[in-house]
Amino acid sequence: MSMDEQELVRQIQEGDEMAFTEIVKTYKNKIVNYLYQLTGNYQKAVDLSQETFMRVFFKAHKYKPIAPFSSWIFAIASNLAKTELKKAQRVSIVYLDDLHNSHKRGAFVENPYDSGLTRNIKQALNSLHPRYRIPVVLKDMEGFSLEEIAQILKRPVGTIKARISRGRNYLKIELEKAL
Amino acid sequence: MEELDLLKKLERVNAPPDFEQRVLALLSTRREKKKTMMKNLRLSFAGAFALFLVVFIVINVFVFQKKGALDFVDLEKNIPSNFKKGEAWETRNYIPIIEAVDYSTEIQSLSYEPQTIYILEQVSEDYREKIKY
Repeated sequence: MSMDEQELVRQIQEGDEMAFTEIVKTYKNKIVNYLYQLTGNYQKAVDLSQETFMRVFFKAHKYKPIAPFSSWIFAIASNLAKTELKKAQRVSIVYLDDLHNSHKRGAFVENPYDSGLTRNIKQALNSLHPRYRIPVVLKDMEGFSLEEIAQILKRPVGTIKARISRGRNYLKIELEKAL
Repeated sequence: MEELDLLKKLERVNAPPDFEQRVLALLSTRREKKKTMMKNLRLSFAGAFALFLVVFIVINVFVFQKKGALDFVDLEKNIPSNFKKGEAWETRNYIPIIEAVDYSTEIQSLSYEPQTIYILEQVSEDYREKIKY
């Protein structure tokens, strides 16, 4: 964690909104993208991202600088995503976005020229159990190391390695079925 | 793995342009809600404590009123007419009798040591000198 970020975190712990705004600016795109890859729904990803940052502000006093601040934010986002995915499994939710393909202020537009391959990859990723999807996304899309992912998900490194390996195998099988 | 390279090429999305404003607005709302909740909680606790205190006082003063000795004496006077000697034990009204004892004087007069009695005896019958005892 850089010195600037350390200082920002310290100020957020004291309730400084300006410092909090800086953190939001730094991480908003990463968190929204991460949650979009997990949930598959843009509006849900934005709502969960807002909730993530609320928790960052109100629980900043609980952050201990033994892990990077980014790991802590992604841990909060992961927990919210897990809860949301569990809820979605119990109740089949159909989002209006899926029906109407709405475009939110130009920030996200579904690519009309999306190739079948990308669609297949998205579907294969969505079919993965969250237990495997989350570490695969963190490793292969967000670029976190195994140790960082272990800190985010509070699991041993060996477990993370195994889950990533299984997740990749499942993805491969799903893609081969589709292609 | 080729598929993993494809994962990296999946489209990345960005946050909406007004994301920060929305987050700050939500933050402001949550802070207000938290303040109101804490205020209501404090008032509730104060109210509950006041109610408990009132109930405690009422119970102690009116329900568990302690009867003085005079009350028992009055009771003794108002012996019900159906109380007769020889009547079955269980049908009698029992009147508690309390004898008021002044313990302070009782204790003062109580002494384990034998009392010393001074007997004054005239030694001399000569009235010209002072009477010696």
